[in-house]
Amino acid sequence: MKLLVCIKQVPDLESRFKPDAAGTWYNEADLAFRMNEYDEYAVEQAVQLREKLGEGTELTVLSIGPDRVVEAIKKSLAMGCDNAAHIQDPAASGKDPWQIASIIAAYAKDKGFDIVFTGMQSQDRGSAQVGVTVAELLGFACTTTIVGFDYDNGTITAKRELEGGIKGIVKLKTPALVTCQLGLNIPRYPTLPNIMKAKKKEITVIPVAELLATEALAATTSFHPPAKKGGGIVLEGDVGELVDKVIAILKDKTAVLR
Amino acid sequence: MNFDLSQDHKVLQSAVRDFVEKEIKPIAMKIDEEHMIPDALVKMMGEMGFLGSYFPEEYSGAGLDMLSYAIVVEEVSKACGSSGVLISAHTSLCNGPIYTFGTPEQKKKWLPALNTGEIIGCFLLTEPNAGSDAGGTATMYTREGDEFVINGGKIFITNGGYLGTGVLFASHDRALKHKGISAFIVDLKSPGVTILKNENKMGIRGSYTTAFAFDNLRVPVENLLGQEGKGFNIAMDTLNGGRIGIASQALGIAEGAFERALAYSKERKQFGQPISEFQGIQFKLADMYARIETSKLMIYKAAWLKDNKMNYTMESAMCKMLASEAATYVTKEAMQIFGGYGFICDYEIERMYRDAKITEIYEGTNEVQRVVISKMLLS
Repeated sequence: MKLLVCIKQVPDLESRFKPDAAGTWYNEADLAFRMNEYDEYAVEQAVQLREKLGEGTELTVLSIGPDRVVEAIKKSLAMGCDNAAHIQDPAASGKDPWQIASIIAAYAKDKGFDIVFTGMQSQDRGSAQVGVTVAELLGFACTTTIVGFDYDNGTITAKRELEGGIKGIVKLKTPALVTCQLGLNIPRYPTLPNIMKAKKKEITVIPVAELLATEALAATTSFHPPAKKGGGIVLEGDVGELVDKVIAILKDKTAVLR
Repeated sequence: MNFDLSQDHKVLQSAVRDFVEKEIKPIAMKIDEEHMIPDALVKMMGEMGFLGSYFPEEYSGAGLDMLSYAIVVEEVSKACGSSGVLISAHTSLCNGPIYTFGTPEQKKKWLPALNTGEIIGCFLLTEPNAGSDAGGTATMYTREGDEFVINGGKIFITNGGYLGTGVLFASHDRALKHKGISAFIVDLKSPGVTILKNENKMGIRGSYTTAFAFDNLRVPVENLLGQEGKGFNIAMDTLNGGRIGIASQALGIAEGAFERALAYSKERKQFGQPISEFQGIQFKLADMYARIETSKLMIYKAAWLKDNKMNYTMESAMCKMLASEAATYVTKEAMQIFGGYGFICDYEIERMYRDAKITEIYEGTNEVQRVVISKMLLS
C-alpha cells in the first residue's frame, strides 16, 4: 500500500505577527516555525497505519515551501515516515488553497496512493480547503475533521466530530483522503535515535514549477491586525436598567445568550 | 563562518523542547520538593535517547554528536536542573570514559544498558580529601588473583543513589599520588558497596548526591578501564568532556530564569507601566542576555571542536566557567526582577537560583577552570 501525508510548516502561534512589505501576508522575519498542529495528528495516524500494515507499505510525507520546511519534513521522517517529497517553493505562502491543492494533486496523481492524510486546516491561513480539494482533483473519497480512524481491507472507518460534540461514523473505500482533527491521537515525540535514522531517509526535491499549472482563484489583498478596541463601556442607571443593557450587549456582541 | 544550527540540530532542538515542555516542566517543582526524579521520567528520557545521545548506534546510542548532547542538556535544564545533571553526569562521566577508554568487549557489555537509560551511570572520583586534587585519592585497591579488591569511600557522587554502573578511581600506592590511580567499571549492586547517605542539598535536589563506603568490593580484572596507573589521565580527559555538559546545564538554568524574567517584566506593572519600560530593568535584561549568549557561543564552539576531533580543553574550561557564572548572575537578577514574588517558591525562580550555584563548584571548581585556562595560556 502507498500512503501520503501532507504537512505544512506554520509560525509558532504565540509569535507577534507583523504585515509584510506588501501588506498581504505576515512578515516571516524573526518568526519561529513548526509543524501545523493538525498535520501532526495526520502524520501520527499515517505512521500508526504504516506500522500496522508493516512491510510492503510505503509512507511518503510531502510539504510545499522554502528550504525551512525541511525541518518539518525531517520531524515527520523521525516520527516514522519512509521518505519525503519537498516541493520547493519560496513563494508558497502567496498561493491560494486551489493552487496548493493543485500542486499536491499533480504530484500524487500517477503515484498510486491508497490513502492521503492531511490536517483539517492550517493554523495560519486556516482555509480548510486544501485537503478536500486534493481529494476532488484526484477523484478520491473524502471525509473531514476525523477524531477516530480505522482501516481494514480497503475500507476506512472514520469517526467525525460534528457541531456541539456530536460524533458521526463514516465508512469510505480507498483510495481516500481524510483530514485530521485534534483528539484523533497523541503525536509521538521524535526520539534521538529516530532523528538520526531520519538523516538517511530520502527527501526528493521537486521545483514547484514542475507541478504548478493553475492560476490562483482567490487573492489575499490585505493582512492587518484588528482595529484597536475602544475603551470599556461604563453603564449607569438603576439595577433593572443595567441588567437590561448588559443582556442587550451580550446578545448583540457575544454568543452566550443565543 | 556560520553560527546557525544545522537543520538537523534544529529538528532535534524542537523535539527536545516539546518533550521538556510537556513532560518535565509541569513536574519540575515536584522534583525539587520531593528530592526525586520520577522513575517514569528517567525511563522516558532513556527512550528518547537523552541518555546516550552521542554514542554510536552499535552500542544502542543515538549516534548523534556532542552539539546535540549540549542541546539536550540545555533544553532539559531550562525546565529542571536536576534532570539536566542526571543526563550530564550519566552521559559524560560514565558512558563517556567507557566509550573512550573501554575495550570492545567492555563497550559491548556496559554501554547498551547505559545508553538506553536502563541503568544509570555515575563517576566515583571525589573523596573527603580528594576533590580538586585527585592525586590525594585514598580509596585503595589490591589485586587478588583474577580480581581487584577495593576499599575506601567516595562522596558527592551524582546519580550514585541509582546503584547503577560506576567508573571508580582507586590507588594502589598513595605515595605514587596521581600515578598510582587506576579506573574500574563497577556494578554498584555488588557486595561490599554501601550507601552511607544521599545528601540533602541547597539545589539540584532531585538529583542524587551520594556518599559510598567500599568494603572489600571485588571487581573482576576485566573491569579495569584503560591501563593500570592511567586512571588520573582518564579522569582528566573525562572531566574535559563533562564540562560541556555542566556548562549546558548552567546555560539551560540561566535561559529558563531569563525567559521567565523577560515575560514577567512585560506583564508586571508599577507606576502605571510595565517594569520593562524602566531602564533599570532594561539594563538588567541586556546584561543577562549578553551573558547567556556569550556562554552559548562558547559551549557550542567547544562541542564543535570536540565533534571535529580538535583540542577543546581550553574552550571546555571557558564555557563551564562562563556559563556557570552566567547562571548564578542571571538567576540572581531574575529574582530581583520578580521582586518579592521571586522569593516565593511558586514562581520557580528561587529554585533556579538554588540550582545555579553548584555549577560554579562541580565538574572542577571555577578556580580550577581558571588554572586550566591560564596554564594553557602560559605554557
